Amino acid sequence: MKFTVTKQALLDGLQRIQNIVSNRVTLPVLSNVLLETTETGIQLTATDMEASVRTETPATVERAGSTTIPARRLLSIIRELPAEEIQIETDTRNITSIKSGPSFFKVYGLSKDEYPAFPSLEEKRGFSMKQSELREGLRKTSYAISLDETRYVLNGILFSFRDGRLTLVATDGRRLALCDAELGEIKYPAGHERDFIVPTKAIAELQRLLVDDKEVRLHVGDNLVAFDLGTTVLATKLVDGTYPNYRQVIPGEAKERVTIEREILHHSVRRVSLLSSDKSGSVRLNFTKNNLDITSNTPEVGEAKESLAVAYKGRDLSIAFNPEFLIDPLKNLPDDTIALELIDEMSPGVIKINSAQRFLYVLMPMRVSV
Amino acid sequence: METSSREHGFSGGTPQAPHSTPSREQVVSENFSLLWNKLSEVIRQRVSGDSFERWFSRVSVLAVTPESVTLGVPNPIHQFFIESNYSNLLNSAVEEVCGGPLNLIFDCSGDSHSELKTEKEPTEEFVAPTQVPAARSMNTGTSIPTGMNPSYTFDSFIVGANNQFAHAASQAVAHAPARTYNPLFIYGGPGLGKTHLLQAIGHQILATKKNAKVVYLRSEQFTNEFIDAIQNNALVAFRKRYRQADILMIDDIQFFAGKGATQEEFFHTFGALHDGHKQIVLSSDRPPSEIANLEQRLVSRFEWGMTAEIQPPDMETRIAILQGKASRMHIEIEHWVMEFLADKIRSDIRRLEGALMRVAAYKSLSGQPLNLEALEHLLRDVLQEQARRAVTIDQIQKKVAEHFDIRLADMTSKRRQASIAFPRQIAMYLSREMTPSTLIEIGDAFGGKDHGTVIHACKLVKKRMEEDPKARHLVRLLDQQLQR
Repeated sequence: MKFTVTKQALLDGLQRIQNIVSNRVTLPVLSNVLLETTETGIQLTATDMEASVRTETPATVERAGSTTIPARRLLSIIRELPAEEIQIETDTRNITSIKSGPSFFKVYGLSKDEYPAFPSLEEKRGFSMKQSELREGLRKTSYAISLDETRYVLNGILFSFRDGRLTLVATDGRRLALCDAELGEIKYPAGHERDFIVPTKAIAELQRLLVDDKEVRLHVGDNLVAFDLGTTVLATKLVDGTYPNYRQVIPGEAKERVTIEREILHHSVRRVSLLSSDKSGSVRLNFTKNNLDITSNTPEVGEAKESLAVAYKGRDLSIAFNPEFLIDPLKNLPDDTIALELIDEMSPGVIKINSAQRFLYVLMPMRVSV
Repeated sequence: METSSREHGFSGGTPQAPHSTPSREQVVSENFSLLWNKLSEVIRQRVSGDSFERWFSRVSVLAVTPESVTLGVPNPIHQFFIESNYSNLLNSAVEEVCGGPLNLIFDCSGDSHSELKTEKEPTEEFVAPTQVPAARSMNTGTSIPTGMNPSYTFDSFIVGANNQFAHAASQAVAHAPARTYNPLFIYGGPGLGKTHLLQAIGHQILATKKNAKVVYLRSEQFTNEFIDAIQNNALVAFRKRYRQADILMIDDIQFFAGKGATQEEFFHTFGALHDGHKQIVLSSDRPPSEIANLEQRLVSRFEWGMTAEIQPPDMETRIAILQGKASRMHIEIEHWVMEFLADKIRSDIRRLEGALMRVAAYKSLSGQPLNLEALEHLLRDVLQEQARRAVTIDQIQKKVAEHFDIRLADMTSKRRQASIAFPRQIAMYLSREMTPSTLIEIGDAFGGKDHGTVIHACKLVKKRMEEDPKARHLVRLLDQQLQR
């Protein structure tokens, strides 16, 4: 294999795949990146056996071929190279020489034969959507993913297709985020319902990779899903199991509803939370007519209070939430205002947005005394 | 909503000291729906109507033991939300109604519409394996910790007189981890099944308690990871890995000998686990007190729980092992071949199985029937190795004299004071047991003694061994040292 590539192009490609290469690998070859020549350039592949990413980058190929090279080492070499143009050549023993201006490196690699095959995308049900649409959907839900590994079905986002609509759900047992996303031109066949859980690591990678307004094509298999972004494809195993019945969590009809400026609420809660204790930290929202007092206090530390003018018409109500959980949606929503729906002190609060797309955030209240 | 969802009653499978108040016993005997009614009365007062309806209306009590209450929930989502949001409430309700804290166990298997394909065992507070319906404990998908051989189970372990005790102790530990013998210390020579027993405990626990953190490793791995952790400044992660285990099993602990820092680290790991009522299982090729360069505080801790020895299998057990192995491998071996193997290879099961493999391979490759000559040729190196271990009367005399610090000449003298006669008798007994020599030959070798003297010596030593554990230990030790 022999090709010439610009430093920027190779760096871009490596950065797209490098997060998948884990530090603790079970097989030595998994710490390598697979380099293959294509007609228009080179293709880079990385995998941790759960998730795999494959991406293309333009290069001038002189001799076709393939090899695998330790990914982190290659990335740090390329990053430090002084010249813009890089010449890479691999011999039959998988020894790769990297030449750039005055620098010369020789790196030992492993044969392509040892590298796990990239999952095949053929014969899988597919549909498409806007990359930005999916990215927004993930941003609105991913913070609610459970990090508790014993609840492994919650360690990811549920992709649920019902009636030609895609719903994303994440929950950790204390809150639940749900949003709908619009599908693109290639629709999932109507009448086919399908639920699958995309694991947390793949979600994090997707959020990095989804950038532009182009389409992303999803190929869904029995136990894996592939996201085809054009030059880059991410394939991941699905979480084995079925998502619990999340509809159980969504409360019934709200008694009170108030619209609040998102950013103002976000910053107020953040300030007030500075004086809620670390352990059982809570902030209390006290609603009175046209006013919202946000308070917190920690014995022997101090207390904080901030007042907001809000259009609240209901009965006086006081409810406590975990400040971090309250801030998460406020931080990640793009809308100017949010609607907070409440039933009573002990029932969950629900955050919604005034938009055509459904978004729902259910937050369990904190009961200060048991 | 409480952030600290694990307080009393949720202390990770820790057996609660059973307060046997009369009210508790009453409750246990009462029927379950009555108990749930009482609990829900308490809960209803403290949550909103909507929350009660949503989370508690379809919950039921499935089982009650002195330590725990099993709650049936319709869907895993109930378990997740009740655990995260209402565990303190539920615990205090249980405490109020039952008169003391109990562990809470959730069971969401009852729902036929359950959305979970692979059901998850409730987390750490799972305590009583017997309460789980059999179908659930058969769940597949348990990940086997690295380094464990899936075929090392209790089912495949051949029990004989030599290992009966160790086997029983292991089963007791597997059925009630950290309740009976903690730590369990298994020792015995190489190839006698220590690793098999250790891993069988691990498999058994994983089969009944799916989310148990079972950590199995060889002592060398512990040392290496410890050194690694020091170098990479990752001691916290290292400690977390081992101190949060539910069952820690370390194989070949004798390699800790002389490694001071590792011993120190393990001492603390041991303390953390033992204090947290987590099971520890260790194996070694010799009893703790005989591991040289092992800190005294570790020795005493190793001897704290149960020390079980595995001895070399007897003839019948060896044949049973061969038969078991042959049937697992689906090969047929003539009985006389098994007897030959069992007779010639006495001390090491690994070697025994290796020889069996060799015979099986010979049969399937050459296609010729085996005869004694071919067999002897086939196994010549193994047999030679065994033969080399054959001991002579001279060696026995030397060893015994050295051990008791008496002169070699005393072995053949006629002196009859106990400090000399008893060692001599032991040497005669060992000669009788370990060499093919006749009584007369042994008598001659011990300074022209009568064959009756030798018989008397053997009887006497046997009797002393039956009555006095010290004598038994002594003879066994000499026996082992001679075979080494």
